[in-house]
Amino acid sequence: MVSGLSQSVFGTEFQTPVLLASGTCGYGREYAGLIPLDELGGLVTKAVSVEPRTGNPPHRVAETPGGMINAIGLENVGLDAFIEEKLPWLRENLARAKVLVNVIGRTTDEYAAVVAGLDEEEGFLGYEINVSCPNVRGGTLFGTDEAALGELVARLRRESERPLIVKLTPNVPDIGVYARICEENGADGLSTINTFPGMLIDIRRRRPVIGNVSGGISGPAILPMGVYLTWRAARSCSIPVIGIGGIRSADDALQYILAGATLVQIGTSSFVDPAAAVTVQQGIAAFLESEGVEAVSELVGGLRTSDSAEGSAPAQG
Amino acid sequence: MQADLEPRVGESPAPVRHRAPVVSNRRVAADTWWLELESPEIARRVAWGQFVMIGFGLEHLAPPFLPRPFSVGWRSPDGRIGLLVRRFGAGSAALAALRPGERALLLGPLGRPFRLEAARRVVCVAGGVGLAPFLILAGEARRQGLAVELLYGELSAERVFDPVLIEQLTDAPPQIWTEDGTLGRHGRVTDGLDASGPVTVLGCGPTAMLRALAGRAAREGFELQVSVEEHMGCGVGTCQGCVVRSADGRWLKACTEGPVFDASDLSWSPG
Repeated sequence: MVSGLSQSVFGTEFQTPVLLASGTCGYGREYAGLIPLDELGGLVTKAVSVEPRTGNPPHRVAETPGGMINAIGLENVGLDAFIEEKLPWLRENLARAKVLVNVIGRTTDEYAAVVAGLDEEEGFLGYEINVSCPNVRGGTLFGTDEAALGELVARLRRESERPLIVKLTPNVPDIGVYARICEENGADGLSTINTFPGMLIDIRRRRPVIGNVSGGISGPAILPMGVYLTWRAARSCSIPVIGIGGIRSADDALQYILAGATLVQIGTSSFVDPAAAVTVQQGIAAFLESEGVEAVSELVGGLRTSDSAEGSAPAQG
Repeated sequence: MQADLEPRVGESPAPVRHRAPVVSNRRVAADTWWLELESPEIARRVAWGQFVMIGFGLEHLAPPFLPRPFSVGWRSPDGRIGLLVRRFGAGSAALAALRPGERALLLGPLGRPFRLEAARRVVCVAGGVGLAPFLILAGEARRQGLAVELLYGELSAERVFDPVLIEQLTDAPPQIWTEDGTLGRHGRVTDGLDASGPVTVLGCGPTAMLRALAGRAAREGFELQVSVEEHMGCGVGTCQGCVVRSADGRWLKACTEGPVFDASDLSWSPG
């Protein structure tokens, strides 16, 4: 891989800035032999919870204009099976690509149990904490409750010295507030953004298309929202940000990088073309060469704006 | 028997992803097209009942943006595969509009195939475009000496896939049923099933048809394998989108744990 693609972050070196997003690459093995996984920057596993989760009834996925809706329901094998059945493959087959384990829970204790249970294992770099789960005690999402989020991050920081990256939801008035809460409580980085809530209706049956009624919208349709929120988050804190949302080309990925993302993740696009992540990182390398830029790190946050451009409120009209 | 009819999961070779040129695409019945693509590697490896994901890639934002699963309906020694496309919505309409020379992005072969035992009579029960996997199966299995019957049902004559072409592909005429009696026998295709004696019944079609077959299999005690369909995101087990309920209440992935299941392993309660 081209040396200019590497990024030093989270105490290690990612050989490229391109990772596969959680929920779109299983536990890695599903793509074995289909794409050169170990040539990527890395991957983020399907979410892991303390106990196995069965997930939602079908339909769980459907196409939407320029993207898709999903309501999988965080189905996963649970902590013990992840350690026994999934982590060994990652450990044995990925030498260069970095692995982040996506973690979910219904309470702070559940998140902490996953982190504590995994921390002594080998085969992964750190954690991506999915805070788009309902907080059982408060009834809101961890990611939209400032106090719950702060407590969660502080607690997980005490459980582990590994990189702790919080995947933020876009469904908040100001993502910068949540970015700062994560930083102040010890997070090492942020992933922005998770999906937007949405629904589709089958007008003939007069029923929701998705079994769970509503789901998360992803894909190219959300690209500009992701770029904006990544920019907002990156300028609101000083920890590295991973940009996610609708990336299907090197140009899309470079928008996130210029907005302030140190790394990016490819999600829905891998369903459309499993080779998407490989194509994106090759395209970034080609861009560096054509622009005479030696390293992708030079582009991070390189957006040029006038001093007055705050972007604090969406432009009207 | 085909030597490679064992399930292809786990250590099986990875599927192939490539841009396949369209060889031909012709309308064969109302809202129904027979799409042939040049795909030598998939043609060589596909087992009866396996499927491909077909789409247009990331440059194409209009439907189908997500690729769609299609059973491989036929393969030729010179590397073509045939898919049976019925126009239901914008995505399938775009596939129906493909012209020779245009390319589609293919991923496959995917999923677990049908599993046959040489000594048994095989009866295929097809509803609508559920016919597709039985074209390749009936044709190739008959040439290998298996006794295969093909029962094929549609709502009415206008939707029936060209019987002459079916006979060319499978070496024998199908037994056709239409629900309105406009072609072949009048009634539901499941009415035509005689499952007496040692038999393996294979079903592919609408869920209501598969449920009716599963009910008979449970009552009459014959072996039934079904190929199921569900909204699918990736085709390779990563998105966990395409689940069906198992008999013991778990969710099974149609893409990698199916699409072919033993009917007795699935739950057939409505809803």
